[in-house]
This record gives sequence, C-alpha cells and structure tokens, in this order.
Amino acid sequence: MTTRTDTDTRRARLRTDVNLAARVVPTHYPLETFIAVNPLAGLEGLPFEQALRRAGDLYGMPGTLGEQAFRELHQQGRISDGDLDRALTLRYPHLAAEPMLSIGGRRISLEELLRADLLHGAGGPAPRRRFMTRSEERAPELAEIVDVQTSKWCGAYFGAAAWPMPGRENGFFSAWRELAPADRTLSRPVRSDLRRVPERADEALLDALSRLGVGDDDRIPYLQAHLTRMPGWAAHVAWCAGREKGIGVLGYLAMRLSYEASLLYLNRVDDDVDPVREPTEMPSARERAEGLIRAFGVDSATEDEVAAAARVLAALPVTSRELLWQNAFEANYRDDLLAALTSSAAPDDSDRAHAQVVTCIDTRSEGLRRHLEAVGGYETLGFAGFFAVAIRYTDVMGGSANDLCPVLIAPNHDITEKPASDAADEVARRVAGVTGMAGAESAFHAAKESFAAPFILAEAAGFAAAPLSAAKTLTPAATVGVRRRVRDVIAPAAATDIDTEAMPHNEQVLFAQVALTMMGLTRGFGRLVVFCAHGSSTENNPYQASLDCGACGGQAGAPNARTAVTILNRPGVRAGLRSLGIDVPADTWFVAAQHDTAVDRVTVLDLHSVPGEYRQDIERLERDLARAGAALAAERCTVLPGVTRQLAPGSASRHVANRSADWAQVYPEWGLAGNAAFIVAPREVTRGIDLKRRTFLHSYEAEVDVDGSALETILTAPLVVAQWINCQYYFSAVAPQVFGAGTKTIHNVVGKVGVLAGHTGDLQLGLPWQSVSDGDRLLHEPLRLLAVVQAPLDRIDTIVDRNPILQQLFGNDWIALAARENSDQPWQSWTRAGWRPWTDKNNTAGRGVYNEEMVP
Amino acid sequence: MTAPALTKMTKIEVVVAGTDAPAVRDLIQSVGATGYTSLSGVSGLGHNGYHQGRLLFNQQATLELIITVVPEGKIEPLLAGLRPLLDASSGVMFVTETYVSRPEYFG
Repeated sequence: MTTRTDTDTRRARLRTDVNLAARVVPTHYPLETFIAVNPLAGLEGLPFEQALRRAGDLYGMPGTLGEQAFRELHQQGRISDGDLDRALTLRYPHLAAEPMLSIGGRRISLEELLRADLLHGAGGPAPRRRFMTRSEERAPELAEIVDVQTSKWCGAYFGAAAWPMPGRENGFFSAWRELAPADRTLSRPVRSDLRRVPERADEALLDALSRLGVGDDDRIPYLQAHLTRMPGWAAHVAWCAGREKGIGVLGYLAMRLSYEASLLYLNRVDDDVDPVREPTEMPSARERAEGLIRAFGVDSATEDEVAAAARVLAALPVTSRELLWQNAFEANYRDDLLAALTSSAAPDDSDRAHAQVVTCIDTRSEGLRRHLEAVGGYETLGFAGFFAVAIRYTDVMGGSANDLCPVLIAPNHDITEKPASDAADEVARRVAGVTGMAGAESAFHAAKESFAAPFILAEAAGFAAAPLSAAKTLTPAATVGVRRRVRDVIAPAAATDIDTEAMPHNEQVLFAQVALTMMGLTRGFGRLVVFCAHGSSTENNPYQASLDCGACGGQAGAPNARTAVTILNRPGVRAGLRSLGIDVPADTWFVAAQHDTAVDRVTVLDLHSVPGEYRQDIERLERDLARAGAALAAERCTVLPGVTRQLAPGSASRHVANRSADWAQVYPEWGLAGNAAFIVAPREVTRGIDLKRRTFLHSYEAEVDVDGSALETILTAPLVVAQWINCQYYFSAVAPQVFGAGTKTIHNVVGKVGVLAGHTGDLQLGLPWQSVSDGDRLLHEPLRLLAVVQAPLDRIDTIVDRNPILQQLFGNDWIALAARENSDQPWQSWTRAGWRPWTDKNNTAGRGVYNEEMVP
Repeated sequence: MTAPALTKMTKIEVVVAGTDAPAVRDLIQSVGATGYTSLSGVSGLGHNGYHQGRLLFNQQATLELIITVVPEGKIEPLLAGLRPLLDASSGVMFVTETYVSRPEYFG
C-alpha cells in the first residue's frame, strides 16, 4: 500500500532530479535585460576539455573551431609552428627527449610527426548527441512532433499575442493540460490519451517516465536529453524558476514527456525497435600514420616504421587535436599581449590631469580611453559600469523600476529621478508629452495586432506609414533627426536630478570609499572626475540589451553614473572620505556622462547641476570627448561591414550615426566581439598600447588595497561577468547552431522573451551570427579569457584559496591567469601546482608544466 | 529538555552554494514545510577548504544556510530530495531534534 509519505517522497526525489538535470541548461534572460552567460556554466565544475566532451554528448555541438578553420588560421600566420610545438610540449612534456623516428631513411622528431598530424591528419566524425530521447532514438518523426508541440505551447504561453493562451493565469502546465486534448493537429487517439494526464505536473512526469520505461537511476540523463533537445525554451523556462512566472522545468518536462509517452505508445514503438544511430568513422592510428608518411613524401616505409609512427599518433587521439589547436591559438594572442605589457611605457609623471575619466571595463571603452588620452591632459580609469551603486531605479516618468546592477547581486537601494529645482513645470510638460506619445504608439501597435483593426488602420494611417517607412530606409539618420525634433517639441527636455535620500549617509560614504579604493583613485584628483557610463542606440534591434552595459543588467548605465557623482559631490560625503584618508580637493567636481557605443558620442549629463566655475572645463571636456569619439569612430569603421575605404574622423562620425539609425542595419556595431583578456592593473601598464578593443580594463592599485578586499571583489565579480561575456561570444562563434541566435534576417520576436528563427522552432540562445561574423568570415576570434593581474602573488593565492568559484574557473581552465607583483617582475602563470614563469614564444623554458586535464 | 508545553519536531539545516539555494528552498516548499530561515554569505571551513563569506558584488558564489523545521511526516520526503542534491554538490546537512511552542506554525 502506498502511503502519503511514500507519494511525497517520490515527488520530492523527482523534483531534485529535475533540478539536477536542469543544471546543464544555460540561463536565457528576457530580451530587454539580455545578459551574457556561459552556456556551459552548469559544466564549469569540469575541466574545460571534459566539459566540451560532455556538451558534445548533450547537444551534438563542436567545442572549438573546426580543424579546417584552425589550419586556415595557421596559413594566415595567426597560429605559428612554434605555437603548435609549445601546445604539444605542454601536453606531452617529455616529447623533445624522445628518440627520433626513422621512416624511409628520413629522421623525423616526434614533435614534427604530431605537428604534421595537426596540420594534415584526417579528421574524425562531427560531434553527435549521445543523450537521446526514446523517440529520437526509435522514431525521429515522433520526436519532431514533440518538438513542434513544445514550440507551439511555449510560444503561446510566452508570446504577446492579441489572443492570450486560455487558462494562462493558472500556470503553464495546467493551461496546457486543459487545451492539449482539444488540439486538432493531433490524432484522436493521442488527444484521448492526453486526457488521462494527471492533474499535478510531478505526477504527470512520473507517469510518463513510467510509461517510457525510464528507471530512477536513468532519470537525470533522460531528462537532460529532453532539456537539451530544445535548449532555448528549456533555458528560458529555467530562468523563470522562482520568478512567479507560472512555469517551471518540472511542468515543461511533464508536457514533453507526456506527449512522447502517448505518441510512442499509440504508434506501437517499443523497446524492441533498434535505435537509429549514425555510423562513426574515426581514422585508426595506422591510417593516420600512413597518410602522414605520404605527406612527408616517403614512399618506402617498412611495416615497423609505420607501426612506430602509429604508436606515437595513438597518444594523440583525433578528438583531442582541436583543443591543442585552441591552446596554440590562445598562446599566440596571450604571448603577444604579455610581451606588449612588459615593454609598456613608464608611469606618467606629468602635471595634474585636467580630468580623470572613469569608464566601464567594457572592451569598447579601451578605444575611447586610448583616443582621449592621446588628446592630452586626461587620466583614464576602468571600473564596472554600475560604479558600485547597485540600484533599483525609477525615472521621472514613474514607470516600473529597473534593476541597474550586475545579476550577481540584488539592488540594495531604491533611487528615483526627480525634477531639478525650478524645473517642475518643464518636467510635468515632458512627462505629459512622453505619456501621450507612448499612448499613441501603443494604440498603433495594438491596432496592428488585433483582429479587424489592421484594415481600418491601413485606411487611416497607411498614407503616412508607407512614406515614413521609405524615408526610414533611404535616409535613416535624417528621419531619426526629424523624429527627435518632433519628440523635443512634444516632450521638451527638462532638467532632473537624482534623489539619493533613500540611501543612508553612512552607506553613501562607504560606497564612495569602496568605489574610489577599488579603482585606485585616492589621490591626484583632477578638477573634473567624469564617471562615464555607456549604452548603445540602435534601431529595430531585439538584441539592443546585448550592446548595453552588462554591469547594469543589460541596460544603459547613465542612472548609475548620475547616482555615483551625486553622492561624491556631497560635502558630507567628502568629509566622511577625508576621515577615512581620502582627501578629495575642494575644487574637484564629479560629472556623469554616457558613451553611446554605436556612434561613439559621449554626452555629458546634468549640466544644469555643474557649478559655473567649471564652465570652461566642461567645454574643454566636451570638445576633447568629441575629438576622441570621432577618432574612435574612424578606427571602428575600418572593420565595420560595408565600409570600403578609410574614413576621416568627421566622415566616420556621420557614417556611424547613419548606421545606428538604420532600421535595416544588421551590423550596427561590433559590441564586445574580439574580447580575449581582462587586465587588472594600473593604467601605466597598458597606456599607449593599442589593445584593439579586445581587453576588459579594470584599474587597480595594489598598494592602496593592503587587505586585498578590492582585488577579491574584482576577481569574484567583474572577472566572473567578463568570463560570461567571453564564453557567450566564444560559444556563439564555435557552436552557432546550438548556442548562437542564427541570422538576424529571419528573427521573429516572441513577446519579450527572445527570438525564433522563422515562425516556429526553438527559442534562439546566444548572440546573432551578425554579432560574431561578417558573412562567412568569423570576426570574433573565439579565445578563452586571459586574466592579467598586477598584484602580489601571495595575495592572489589567498583570494583563490578562499573562493571556490575562482579555484573552479582557473583550475578547470575556463580562465587562464597571468600575474606579476610589479612591472619589474616577469609574468607568472597560475597553475594548480603553483606559479610558473610565463615566457614569450621564443623561449619555452619553464613551460614544461602540465596544467591541463588530459582526456584520452 | 522536554518541557510539557513544547512539541517535538525535526530541524534540518542545510549549507549550500548560493546557486543551489533556490533548489533547496523549492524542495522545502514542495514537501509542504510552512517556512524556512535563510542566511546568505556564510563562511566556514569544510573538506573543500575555507569558503569566503560575504562578497561585495557576488551573492551567488557564497554559501547560504537554510534552516527549516518540519513535523515527522515531512522528514522522509525532504531528506529524499536533499540527499541526491547534496551528493551532487558541495554542501552539508544537519538533522536534529528540536522543540517548538506553537506546532501549528509548522504544518
């Protein structure tokens, strides 16, 4: 007899299995707060290479570029023979000491043979999903039906259709259970069978597992097979857990497995049917040896010689070659970067800077900082773009509040925008104007999506909509300019301030101390200190949030910068800082600004609140920012698709402005493409070096962080977020079919949750193809992140020792770590066995320490 | 120890990584426990070494202590769900007898 406790126990065990199964699924944030994530975050507990193998089994995806792509990079000189030899030596430390082979009278070193295998060896089969559902194995056409139904019901539940899914308010599983038996796309027996699905999702899932013959011990991998079959929907459902969205992984799986159980049962597909498996073709070591001997031009090798070569090649499985290529590719970039940092310029001992400009660590800021410093009179610093104020922000329009902080933390202060003194009337006019325009826009879109109104709408507004669409296409910048002017008439700009009253005084002082200490700005303040946030202005772009500030939850960071400078300009906060040893001069003023990364225009904010004595300083700042922005636009134009000639800064500024306003433009900017390193060091280490907008730059002064708390914060938060971004780009580039969002040209937006490629199928994960490539040419070089830290090595060790997340990221090769105590010291490489010298590509001494999990 | 006015219950304390805490809370609620107490950013020394407590800008990487008190009928389901979770994660669980003055609060 089954007791209540037995039933509860079975259900609890199932719930945990579902939670454990769902660990392999990435997190998919809604579009408006699109956050870059590592799609393999659930596998970070494994060494990188093992995680790629597991992901290959789960998704059938490659984990690196293909060998052909690597070989092309070798031909282009992006990977050298030396890089390959060092990658081989790292994996096989005793390779050079082994005796040479003699083949057909020719002497060949083992290194030479293995390198030839990398360059010319026959490839293996493409990765194949090994975690498969019953229907996928035995009746693929039924698996397709399960997927079609999944897409249909998830689309109905998450979509913003004019006709909402009936019963939606009762939650996904309940609504589906009511509707599915009436679905005429299914046969009558299937519909009838679906009527017996239990009312509770957990009981439905247990019932389906039982009908499918999945035992308790096989449950987790089986559920993973279902979750990874359509990872996009599963990833978004996983995000919904705990957010009161009415849908969870349990209900989602109950739906899928209920369909599968019914379809397999009613189609009489049972365990006797042989699974459909594609043959695998892996060249044997002997076949590889024979091929290479021919490539060496040797035509008279003996049997023993071929066997000897085959024995060597057997130590390097074909499936391991791509990761060796990956290591060589990364070493090429990393060695060059560290060599450049080693020979960087001496500290800048010039007079007091006119202004310090603090930008986000975002790779795009590197270009702005470099060009601004070239103008002269500026010192630049890097800090996470939320500027250490984790806020829930409500603007003067009074809409819903937005969380402006990294997703690693919850906002701890409610901050509101308020009318500036004497600007209440102007703000009221602006609010009324914006509200009116929003209402009109909402009515227009509602009319488009309702049943009959589109016909009336076409009659009433078609005469204006068609020419407007033509103008937007033919003269995008001019049209946006007109639209902006109309908006300024209806809703004129009005001065506002940030109300920080909700934040207690002592917390404001604490924030100020933490922010300035973390960025190493505790003395030498200029007349102006600019906190420069960033955002991106693009048109018709569902992935807008991916171009905004990741540290601000995928939104533009101006409110954070405004909040930070409001606090730092308070006399009481200055006094509090002074008591803590940070003396901000009385003539220093903190100013907020925002960098529009699509057009490289920096806007200085809240000019009304800047005291008159800074008028000339502000004019100079705006002039210099415009000059730096134009130079950066010209630099960016050299790699923007469609730009066929070198543009002067003025022309480049006009070009990027036009581009950002173009609603048909699929390449508005390159975002963080190319990201490859995260540098935690004073600016002296990087100043004057063209880092090509590939590095996150976090300012850090080890001497003002005696207890290491600032470094610990940097390594456990900004570095972690940078690694998510790095992995998002990496996997969008190497596995676009699974972890990329496909081409923008066929995207259809589903409510606010994501996009479909076409009108059905899986929710697209990751970044669009146009974010990482120009046509067939991959623009983003998929390299794992290199963290470069200038700090005492024992301080880094202490921090790593007490933070499992860092042990995991560094120890499992998701991030490589190079460090040195100061610029007089050589770079060291962190390994599980301790620090080892990081030498340049011409010197392999000291690198014979194996620091990577070996997977046969 | 058994004061006449007190009712015997079972206290379950779980320490897990912040990323696993939602699964534990979900499980506690799913078995019908009426509540829990959650303490984030706890530090400590375990067989995986020292775990840093509060991190300034990362609430997910730190440990969380979750405490719940349940009547006898809910112990087995809760433990059945927690055990495999802890087998697959770093974390610990303590189960002890406890006494409450208002048993109706605990289901």
